[in-house]
Amino acid sequence: MKLRNGLAGAFALGLGMIAGAAFAAPSCGANTGQAATGAPIIVGGIFSNGAPGDWSSSTDAAAAYFACVNANGGIGGRPIEYHVEDDQWNPEAAAAAAAKLVNDQKAVAMVGNGSFTEMAVNAQTYVDQGIMAMASACAISECFETPNLVSTNQGPLASNLGAAQYAQEELGSKNVACIGLNIPNNGIWSCQAVIDYMTSKGGTGSMAMLNPGAPDVNSALLEAVASGADTILMNLPAGLALAVLKAAQEQDLRDAYTWIAPTPLYDLSVPDAVGEYWHGKIWVNAELAPINQGGPDGQNWLAVLDAFGKADDPRDTFSQAGYLSAQFFVKALLEMDPAGLDDRAAVTAAIKGIKGYTSDLMCGPYYVGDAAFHQPNHAGQMVKVVAGGFEVVRPCYEYDSAYFDRHKEVEKALGLN
Amino acid sequence: MTRGAMVNWLVYAALMAGIWLWLAGGMPFKVTGMFLASGLAIGSLYALGGIGMVVLYRASGVLNFSAGAAGAAGAMTAWQLGQWGVWPPLAWAGCIGVALALTLTYGRYLAPLLAWRETVVKAVATLGFALIILGLVSFIWIDDPRSLELPTDQIGIVLFGLRVTATRLLAFAAAIGIVVGIWAFLGRTEIGLQMRAVANARDLSALLGIPIRRVETIAWGISGLLAGFTGLMFANLIRLEPVVITFMVIPSIAAALAGRLNSLALVLVGGLSMGVIESLLTLSPTLKGVRPIAPFVIAALVLLWSQRGTKLTFGGRD
Repeated sequence: MKLRNGLAGAFALGLGMIAGAAFAAPSCGANTGQAATGAPIIVGGIFSNGAPGDWSSSTDAAAAYFACVNANGGIGGRPIEYHVEDDQWNPEAAAAAAAKLVNDQKAVAMVGNGSFTEMAVNAQTYVDQGIMAMASACAISECFETPNLVSTNQGPLASNLGAAQYAQEELGSKNVACIGLNIPNNGIWSCQAVIDYMTSKGGTGSMAMLNPGAPDVNSALLEAVASGADTILMNLPAGLALAVLKAAQEQDLRDAYTWIAPTPLYDLSVPDAVGEYWHGKIWVNAELAPINQGGPDGQNWLAVLDAFGKADDPRDTFSQAGYLSAQFFVKALLEMDPAGLDDRAAVTAAIKGIKGYTSDLMCGPYYVGDAAFHQPNHAGQMVKVVAGGFEVVRPCYEYDSAYFDRHKEVEKALGLN
Repeated sequence: MTRGAMVNWLVYAALMAGIWLWLAGGMPFKVTGMFLASGLAIGSLYALGGIGMVVLYRASGVLNFSAGAAGAAGAMTAWQLGQWGVWPPLAWAGCIGVALALTLTYGRYLAPLLAWRETVVKAVATLGFALIILGLVSFIWIDDPRSLELPTDQIGIVLFGLRVTATRLLAFAAAIGIVVGIWAFLGRTEIGLQMRAVANARDLSALLGIPIRRVETIAWGISGLLAGFTGLMFANLIRLEPVVITFMVIPSIAAALAGRLNSLALVLVGGLSMGVIESLLTLSPTLKGVRPIAPFVIAALVLLWSQRGTKLTFGGRD
């Protein structure tokens, strides 16, 4: 059952495994136990909620974490006032949201952003206004290839590479067909990276593009099949990926190909939705820790949501990412000179100075640095869809694509590897 | 068949053959046949949606944009009932029942309030109703991966190298069966005659003693039943996402326009042709990006062709 009012039931299986977290007291910021009462520090966040889907779980988690911080001493006694706007998947609304938060309300930073739209529209605004956006749910190139955006999630490119690498190394894949959305800064950008990776490993790759609103996924699947691939990568939102799998099931293609996917299929609803036919036959890259992994941050994330979030706030990967962005942001503020907390430039410098932050929710260290591109999260885990959930088949591993060479150079300069 | 109709069919056949040669010529039929079968499958869904629209339009003069939303609400209800362990046939009946109830509610209580307004106003009002239904459905069922299985998914035949499930064959057969059934109903029954009369001249029909509300309610009821069935097919064959099912009315409108909102047979042929051409466009590296607009380009060309020789003035047609 997945009724809005009964959301807790929807996650019963996953939450059942992690019930212990509900009993833990949340730990946030300075952790003083005293409510912050000083002048507020204004922070913004933008999410998308509209026809293609609801991407508010990252800002929901960030809001819960900030509420927890405010109940625990804030930033030197000052609470964080978190202003959140919905861009409704509309570029005009996204630009208006950023103008309101950045220009009018004078936010010192953007945190927890989750959108398909706003990053493309506002990336230059963030540069022009000298503000950093610590995003959490990013799916387009602007999130990872512009100076003032950094995300805790990996996005489709890195997650695709993680999935393709596992398939190439462990499942014998030599020719990967990437089915993606026909959007230049999403599907084409991220599928091309897979083709480049496979070529670099002596294999081949191709892409079959799907229009986001197209009802017919069969043609894209047939195109992938006609490419001669041995592996099919479903670089799609979960709903569309399920449609591809259903079309493949109609053709009984399960055993003729290796089926892999980036993070969107890492959703607790997926094992039931795909059905028994696919159990044990789909490998999914998880860009953050499995939801039931139970480490200190994994438990604290759930405890924060239980204590300061809403009952129907999703407990998913984007929620983990929103929690992490908020946590790293708060840590940076606590470490900076309190006199600069209202100075956007000082806060931006503090964020760019982040390096070596770690969490059990991420496989590698988080950093920002002063670069024209940011991809701190480029290691993940691989899971397999099984009855009732997911099974980890490869714990944390680094992606070895040449795409990350420039990132590794930055990390080397920062002393991180 | 009139000479004009024969010319139309010859032009159609020549165009389809030309498109086939252009997009699929030079490729083995083993490959292109799969795209043909896939296109026929999706085209039958366009036709199914279009037939529902034309039936209501012919009977009431209302172009109903809310059929997709009613079908989406029904499909989500069927899925929910399935999750609650309800006997599957009852869940499928629930889909049709919800779509029927929503459509009848609009047709019985809201549509009469707009009965004397322009066709465009009546059509836009149904779009508003669709958005209300979609909003409610999206509020009740949050965005989440779901699927709706039918037992017919397990049965299939191989057609042109592509395995076609019994569900797809059911949708195809239903599209043909509904065309024949509605044609017979409208042409050979008293209610059908009354529906046609009401659609042509509502006020004159009322003066003649035709029970307008009863006739229109029956028309909306048929539309609701078709919306429920179509919603169930879309949910199974396309995907169980309310937004996607709701806006499947858009290519369905194109199919309805291909039939000039009048001929059910042409809606069927138009829908199937759109599905096939859209599928074949996948084979063109240049044109595969424009696949979603293919139904509308085809509908526009059909309208232009059917209007040839007609001059439009401010006062109407000459």
